[in-house]
Amino acid sequence: MAQFRAKKLDLGGFVNIKIIRDHTKRKVFEQNEPERQALRYIIRNTSLPQRMRTQAQLQLTQMHCYTQPTQIKNRCIMGGKGRGIMADFRMSRFQFRMNALAGNLPGVKKASW
Amino acid sequence: MAVARNRVVDLMKVQCRIFNTIFNPTGERLGNKVLRARLKGPALASYYPRRVATFKDLQNNYPEWQMYNEKEEDRLEHIQVLKAKGKGAPKKKRTAAEGKKQQKRRK
Repeated sequence: MAQFRAKKLDLGGFVNIKIIRDHTKRKVFEQNEPERQALRYIIRNTSLPQRMRTQAQLQLTQMHCYTQPTQIKNRCIMGGKGRGIMADFRMSRFQFRMNALAGNLPGVKKASW
Repeated sequence: MAVARNRVVDLMKVQCRIFNTIFNPTGERLGNKVLRARLKGPALASYYPRRVATFKDLQNNYPEWQMYNEKEEDRLEHIQVLKAKGKGAPKKKRTAAEGKKQQKRRK
């Protein structure tokens, strides 16, 4: 959603629309996380009145989808790919291979035995 | 020897006061685990590499300095060569009439 997007691009490195979108979702989630956690606490607290808990449930479900953590997907920082990402290196499997063979990833070595 | 229940509860109460935790002897679901969890937003938001200072920023900050942007100069030179060969990009159409003229000529 364009209303959340930064007015000026704040990303370096590889950029495409999917990365911009994912980055925006991450930032929106970060901003709304305390509110979400507070609502989640109210929902899970059985000592609070049932009415209040139901209202909190409604409020949580009516928040914008960009505030949900499930919307966030790890993408390759080198090429923007969405599948086959190694979370430790934030790269897709092929980019990981290329960078590892080129020696750009400290401590990564091709196995041979 | 079994210890009386109220003694254990008293101990728990003191423990909770000292360590600043919630006193909940009946094991009710109070949702405190949500509050105890750390926020993961900052870690998630710092996933992609952020924008750092570019050559253009440097140039804008220090206009009095002489700088040579090799990549940009190479690009401009390449465009010059293409234009000299007559292979450059076509001129941008500013009005609708200009675009129409082109279409008619093609027919």
